[in-house]
Amino acid sequence: QESVNVTGKVTDEKGLAMPAVSIKIKGTTQGVSTDANGIYAIKTTIGSTLVFQYLSYNAQEVVVSKAGMINIKLVESNTKLEEVVVVGYGTQKKGNVTGAIATFKADKLDERPILRVDQALVGQMAGVSVKQTSGTPGKAFSIQVRGTGSISAGNEPLYVLDGFPLASASPNGSGNFATGNPLDNINPNDIESIQVLKDASASAIYGSRAANGVVLITTKRGKSGKPTITLNTYAGTVERSKKLDMLNGAEWIDRATEMINAQWVASGTGRTASQTTDQRRAILGLAPGAFNVTYMLDDRWTQPGYGGLNVVDWQDEIFRTGITQNYQLGASGATETVNYYVSGNYVKQQGMVVGMDYESYSARANVEIKANDKLKFGVNLAPTYSVTNDPGVEGKDNILHQALSMSPIQQDLPGNVNVFNNTQYIWSVTTNDPLAKLNNTIGMTKKFRTLGTVFGEYKILDGLTFKTTVNLDNTDNTSKSYTPYTVTGSLSTRTTSPNVGTSGSYGGYRKRTFVNENTLSYVKTFHEKHDFSVLVGQAYNSDKLENVSLSSVGGFGVGGITTLGSASVVNGSTSEAMNVLLSYFGRLQYSFDQKYLFSASIRRDGSSRFGINNQYGVFPSVSAGWNIAKENFLKDSKKISELKLRVSYGESGNYNIGDYSSRALLGSSNYTFNGVPAYGQALIGVANPNLSWEKSKTTDIGLDMGFFQNRITASVDYYNKLNTDLLLNVPIPEVTGFGTQLSNTGSVRNKGLEFEVSTRNLTGSFQWNTSLNASHNSNKVVSLAAGQSQILIPSSFDVSHSILKVGEPMYAIYAVRQLGILSQQDIDNKAALFGTQTVGDPKYKDANGDGVIDANDREIVGKPNPDWTYGVTNTFRYKGFDLTVLVQGQTGGSIYSLLGRALGRTGQGVPDNALGFFRDRWRSPDNPGAGEVGKAYSTFGRIINTDWLYSSNYVRVRNITLGYDLGKQFKSKAVKGARIYVTAENYFGHDSYKGGFNPEASNTNLSGSDTFPEAGDYGGLPLPKSLILGLNFTF
Amino acid sequence: CKKSLDQQPISNNTTDTYFAAPNDFLQGINAVYNDLRTYPDRLLNLSETRSDNLYAVSEGGVRDWEGINSFFRTIASNPYVEEAWLKDFNGISRANTLLDQLTKNGAAVIPDAALRSRYEAEAKFLRAFYYFDLVRLFGKVPVFDHPVLTDEALTIPRSPVADVYKLIISDLQFASDNLPLATAYAAADKGRASKHAAKSLLALVYMTRSGPTYSIDGPGLGLDEWSLAAAQLNDVISSGQYAFLTNTGTATTAYSSIFAYTNENNKEVVFDVEYATGSNPQLGATFPWLLVPDGYFQSLGQPNQGGLEIRPISNNLLASYEAGDVRKAFTIQAGYVIPKGVTEIRSFYKKYIDITKVPASRTDWPINFIVLRYTDILLLKAECVLHGAAGSQTTDVDAVVNNVRIRAGLAGNRVNVTLPQLMEERRKEFAAEGSRWNDLVRSGLVTTVMPAWIAADDVRKQIQPFTNNYVIYPVPQSQLDVKTGLYTQNNGY
Repeated sequence: QESVNVTGKVTDEKGLAMPAVSIKIKGTTQGVSTDANGIYAIKTTIGSTLVFQYLSYNAQEVVVSKAGMINIKLVESNTKLEEVVVVGYGTQKKGNVTGAIATFKADKLDERPILRVDQALVGQMAGVSVKQTSGTPGKAFSIQVRGTGSISAGNEPLYVLDGFPLASASPNGSGNFATGNPLDNINPNDIESIQVLKDASASAIYGSRAANGVVLITTKRGKSGKPTITLNTYAGTVERSKKLDMLNGAEWIDRATEMINAQWVASGTGRTASQTTDQRRAILGLAPGAFNVTYMLDDRWTQPGYGGLNVVDWQDEIFRTGITQNYQLGASGATETVNYYVSGNYVKQQGMVVGMDYESYSARANVEIKANDKLKFGVNLAPTYSVTNDPGVEGKDNILHQALSMSPIQQDLPGNVNVFNNTQYIWSVTTNDPLAKLNNTIGMTKKFRTLGTVFGEYKILDGLTFKTTVNLDNTDNTSKSYTPYTVTGSLSTRTTSPNVGTSGSYGGYRKRTFVNENTLSYVKTFHEKHDFSVLVGQAYNSDKLENVSLSSVGGFGVGGITTLGSASVVNGSTSEAMNVLLSYFGRLQYSFDQKYLFSASIRRDGSSRFGINNQYGVFPSVSAGWNIAKENFLKDSKKISELKLRVSYGESGNYNIGDYSSRALLGSSNYTFNGVPAYGQALIGVANPNLSWEKSKTTDIGLDMGFFQNRITASVDYYNKLNTDLLLNVPIPEVTGFGTQLSNTGSVRNKGLEFEVSTRNLTGSFQWNTSLNASHNSNKVVSLAAGQSQILIPSSFDVSHSILKVGEPMYAIYAVRQLGILSQQDIDNKAALFGTQTVGDPKYKDANGDGVIDANDREIVGKPNPDWTYGVTNTFRYKGFDLTVLVQGQTGGSIYSLLGRALGRTGQGVPDNALGFFRDRWRSPDNPGAGEVGKAYSTFGRIINTDWLYSSNYVRVRNITLGYDLGKQFKSKAVKGARIYVTAENYFGHDSYKGGFNPEASNTNLSGSDTFPEAGDYGGLPLPKSLILGLNFTF
Repeated sequence: CKKSLDQQPISNNTTDTYFAAPNDFLQGINAVYNDLRTYPDRLLNLSETRSDNLYAVSEGGVRDWEGINSFFRTIASNPYVEEAWLKDFNGISRANTLLDQLTKNGAAVIPDAALRSRYEAEAKFLRAFYYFDLVRLFGKVPVFDHPVLTDEALTIPRSPVADVYKLIISDLQFASDNLPLATAYAAADKGRASKHAAKSLLALVYMTRSGPTYSIDGPGLGLDEWSLAAAQLNDVISSGQYAFLTNTGTATTAYSSIFAYTNENNKEVVFDVEYATGSNPQLGATFPWLLVPDGYFQSLGQPNQGGLEIRPISNNLLASYEAGDVRKAFTIQAGYVIPKGVTEIRSFYKKYIDITKVPASRTDWPINFIVLRYTDILLLKAECVLHGAAGSQTTDVDAVVNNVRIRAGLAGNRVNVTLPQLMEERRKEFAAEGSRWNDLVRSGLVTTVMPAWIAADDVRKQIQPFTNNYVIYPVPQSQLDVKTGLYTQNNGY
């Protein structure tokens, strides 16, 4: 065989030189690599085969027929079927996937002013509902995969970051993640892709933590070729996207006058509305100059210019336009032996409310080293630090709620109302100036979190690999608050007892998750058509939480110092909790000719959280797929390029039942004798040694389709998920000493349909792509504890307004219907009344027909979860320009708004400001208004009713990005790419929520109970809208 | 590896390891007392506010006490009503747990037999205390003398009132036989249930059973046990453990000194709920400000406490005081003026407020709440005598009433005091102490006094007509919902 010299250049699809491509002579160990210019030279023989290989590119083989030049163009293996998706404990060819997996490509995240990974997922994937429950910068979102199946154990998915399962967290009753959210501080710009395992066949390998779905997050790796350096930066503005319609000064005066006069008339015989302030003072026997504001008006209200009083729009005072900015520098690359990605990021965002901001520093290093052909090891390390300032804006009786309720007529200017040396305007609410609070209150949270993974991989035999990983996630979180007395209490308190009203606290937690996982995987193809893949593994997982809290009691001794050393007395407490999870798991995947696909998995989890009688759970799954498009009858179809049927069934669990819930815990129950503490211990709940995980059984049928060379691709999934053995605080007779007992009982079914469609509508020089996702979910309580057909969820604010009832959606809204306004005719006709109702009060529906209105007339009037959620992304490209528009929304749900109730309820106090609909209230039989709101002065009290029920439908243009590719403008070789863009986030939208800002807001514990957490809106911020200008450079 | 799944709670004890040392039993009994801590607030909300002492109609009718004060039919979900049922039964279940453990392990763990029987007697006293509160509030309630688990609880309906009393009386008899004298307790145990506290409570139980039935399943059984009650009261009076505080010289401070922050555990106190300030977790009280509007504290430059809106004193009570009655000035505050602010002219209770003792936290007031005081014992005895128990009109009735009046700065000139006069004196003596509603119910006056008062005082026309069903409260809605048919609702609700 003739020996020849072969040379040539290896390029990629774009014609760029590819260094470090390996060229081997097939069947030998001889080989060379391309140089920095993609050039190679090799000595071989005629008839030999050269193999060109490079990382994720398709290998090419060329038979040498003569000496001389052989130029090669390598193509990246990115055709859809060859695309690899991340699945639990490994990857899988997308074509072979049999479970329901949604994928999000995160490559454009660096062009949006987002602070968190969860924020990026809004509107992107069918079946994955991402709720922005807060307007506080940096705060966690709430994610639900395929509806809500748990009543009290949380509905958040498990997050797995580069194979590391992060400790699950559920929001508390107030909708906050009190001990952190798994996505806290994780830099969205480091994310490569996100996969959501939606059905149990895909997720069951995560066993007792998978019932709410699993989100797999993959961070960026180095790509082959020269080192790439990227610089991304943006800056822009942040402001509110909505303003609430409240009464203005004149309208507030009008309402106050009406109410005070009515109170005066009702307070005794001979009292009339026409009596002057002086006459009323004389009748009441008050001293000259003294006022009783319940019965007397401020004479200035009717004077020109309100006699010098100020008209204040409190919303305008507390909102502002903030500045946001982000800088990210990254470097990545890969050679035969090392693959690396390192990045650093700084982001600072001023919130839309005075005094709120967020700042974070993060770094990441992902390094993988191939020691030899058999051994590979690597490290992922991500230290992060963030600082959040929030003086306490959202939630009941917090600053936003107070600013909305604050009387718009004031004696002093905003910033000075009932704070410092200024007294309260006596017709106003007693609240202290919200603006002054924002400016003087400290609410600072610092979070230092480090995620680290070390892993090693050893190829024992061809196809047989052992992998071990050790992971640690440590968060140190501290929060400090301080409120000076100057913005609390009344003027007399501030004057006579300075510093006593000052309060401060300092608290924190340390949360540590340690995970060790060991897997053995075997991948082999027999007789070309039989693809086998087997995985077995074992894992140890522990979470430890330590809490500390310190708070001042009885004020501070000195002013001006914000640390607790100056507090009069400090109370402190610490607590700790830990849980351990031991797991064994395995999976078998088989495919025949890539046509017939089969997969099965099983996991056995033992958790310290489970009761002693029930410590281990087994979670199996099976799935099958049929690649119909590969069958002979479709193989040559020009129209159908892909057609795959998927069917799966699996069981998974939810183990968020609390660390020690199964045990008979004793708690402090102290008393005192003769002034000395007498310590006591008593049971704090009823023990349940049988307590175990919640079970979830999902059946899924899906169809993946591609038409016209995949110009149109679509997926449809139907699922039916039954959650049983729900962890439920079952009401029990209180004669046991307790109102509820934690048990595994009851079941909830979620059924849904999901659609994902991507189309390339226009190709050519003007390109237009559309991707659409829509999902429908309905959930229903199937059963409760034996013998129970309903549970009324307690309410902190009146009788229950939500109910768990068999056959109805979870947390269905339960209220009396308001039908209009009572007329004299209604009363003459003996209309059912609530208490002492009279003409002009609201008319309620007597649902049970017993002739009176009371709590028994409540009926189900809505449900919190929407029927449909959807997102549509359109992308346009022309020459160097691109435009992306993301529209997202939901329909079919309702909100029972406690904020709406606070701002617009019957029996509301005179000083409180009220919602704009009070403008058109009932004033007299001749002037009945819009028929929605009764008279301003009512004395019958209040009942939970549909006044505060709003549709939660909304449609929102989440994001518009216009970019221009500057790359062509740079002649220098140093700059590989450059791009400038403008992004408008949350700029347009519509909702029907007149009683609050954000239909998805949750910030307050409506049930007032940990046993039935029900987070709702009692003063949540609007979504921030922002406009930013950004630049991306690649060197 | 399997061992690592056995994670013992780090910050809590569990029953697995409890009741193994004598001190565990002591802590168990202390926890039974702990449930007393909300009792004073409950009395003020459900007895004082329900009665003709307060005209607690709120602006807009939106406060939780509105339905209590105004006889709304729809108060089965009222938080005060719910609290009473849960808290009393929590106390009972703690007592039952402790009694059960005493039976099982007591002899092995606690060598001192006297101590064992004291613990048992304390637990029984408290169980009777909580059951007596329940029977007065709700009438029929389920009776348990042992720890009860869910399955059993779901099968036991409300027991007849007579059965509830049966357990109460046997518990109190055991307690009075086995509890130490108040003076026999060490200083650190002052405030624990004593022999004569048990006897006093037992007397009140007999008297309550002797009240009219109103044709409902209420606390009154129409019995004639005035003499049984009087016998118990006589034991208390003759024990010499307690004293009626009297004025010295020309001073008229004896009445206020009973409630003074600096005079706790004085000779008047037969049984009280004890509080202390400055502990963590807090062991202080909230009842002092419960009926006091925040504006009052503001007017004195003190932080708001949480009393929300004013619960004004009825015109009828205000008018009942004779001129010069020191109890009125001490008990009642006539409005306030906030500097540069509003003027309030309505009156409210300030009996338990010492403005110099405002604590660092509004939920941490240091003052004890007297549940049974010696004056009450004497007046209850007088009541028994008026109902026919052995005793003298002159020395056991008139003299007692006159002593009370003299201490209040009034003339001790009453002769042949009648039952209505006695109740009128009690009303003023015990105003703000939460006894008015129970007194009206026991004496039978409630059916006449309440309608007359509503007609005269309800200028806002907010109060619904009084019916006899309103003598007791509805069973909490949450308990009716637990299992259909387990409990039946009281008539009228």
